[in-house]
Amino acid sequence: MDDLDLLKKDWKKQEQSLPRLSYDEIYKMIWKRSSSIVKWIFVISILEFFLGAVLNIFLADEEYWQEMEKYDLTEFTIIVYVVSYLITFYFIYKFYKNYKRISSTDSASKLMKNILRTRKTVKYYIGFILISSGVVFLITLFIMIRNHGMTADATTKDMSFNFMQWLMFIGGTLLALVVLLGLIWLIYRIVYGILLKRLIKNYKELKKMEME
Amino acid sequence: MYYLLHANHLFVNKELEHQFVNNLEKHQNIAHKICRIYTNDQDSHKDLFQEITIQLWKAYPKFRGDSKFSTWMYRVALNTAITLYRKKKRSIKTEDYDNFHFKIKAEEYDDEAERHLKLMYDAVKQLNDIDKALVFLYLEDKNYAEISYTLGITEVNARVKMNRVKTKLKNIINP
Repeated sequence: MDDLDLLKKDWKKQEQSLPRLSYDEIYKMIWKRSSSIVKWIFVISILEFFLGAVLNIFLADEEYWQEMEKYDLTEFTIIVYVVSYLITFYFIYKFYKNYKRISSTDSASKLMKNILRTRKTVKYYIGFILISSGVVFLITLFIMIRNHGMTADATTKDMSFNFMQWLMFIGGTLLALVVLLGLIWLIYRIVYGILLKRLIKNYKELKKMEME
Repeated sequence: MYYLLHANHLFVNKELEHQFVNNLEKHQNIAHKICRIYTNDQDSHKDLFQEITIQLWKAYPKFRGDSKFSTWMYRVALNTAITLYRKKKRSIKTEDYDNFHFKIKAEEYDDEAERHLKLMYDAVKQLNDIDKALVFLYLEDKNYAEISYTLGITEVNARVKMNRVKTKLKNIINP
């Protein structure tokens, strides 16, 4: 007799020692809150979407617009805002559709695929934020430097930077940019890394079977 | 008119709730057995059982009764254990583990067969989540069609995989 069949015989016997919940105990449970990873992914993603929007609103106060005016960046900034909001709404729509697709009644393999797809949407969204922040930052810097050069030449000589100062200025801002973007990326990796470690492992295990 | 509709809606919901809880009460053993395979202490067992209940209830409106409640329940409950459930970090006390699972009494350890069973259960605990699901479905006398339906792999793959799990278990027991 197979080892596993031996276990099967005992497994049936173990049934008598299983806990037994009453109707009322089960009834109470259906109103408890879920703590499934899907729920966590959903909550964290919503936070991420709104964090971006909130940052935009708070950072762009009157002073910010005046500053932009000064450097002739108003039009550029408005275009950037409109485009980024359009893209963000697209992502929210995609994310909502993915989330709707997740159903615990699917097979394990399909369910995992859908969860990972939802995460991928968030991943692309984060990627979009990181890349667009970087690009916008660099373009802004470039326009500011250009305008500064033009106004500085026109006024006094003291206003213009020498080569070392330029180097420090550009180097410093680039460093700040890299650190900031790196930080966002790291937080993202940690949050989803912890959340999805087991899921990804199980998913790979199932995929491995299909490949063989 | 609106109130009437509302009352009717509530009534339908109550009916659904009643039907669901009745069904789950009748078939709760399935969930408890999954908890036994996937958790090591009483608190985790309760956590997982609760999450399974919530997931089943959430999916219940989509259950149309074209399959048996139990067949449907195997799938949603196992999915919860493998895919959705977030294990909380707990320090596992060995006494907890021994007392809680497998009700084999201490004096019975002398018995060679019992000792072997204990070894087998311990070996199952060491498997990964997917392998545990395969062993569980095997212990539950499920055929390969049902295994393939639950996990979303082909029957051939399920068969191959099951043989591998058997070998794995053997290797854990007789290293």
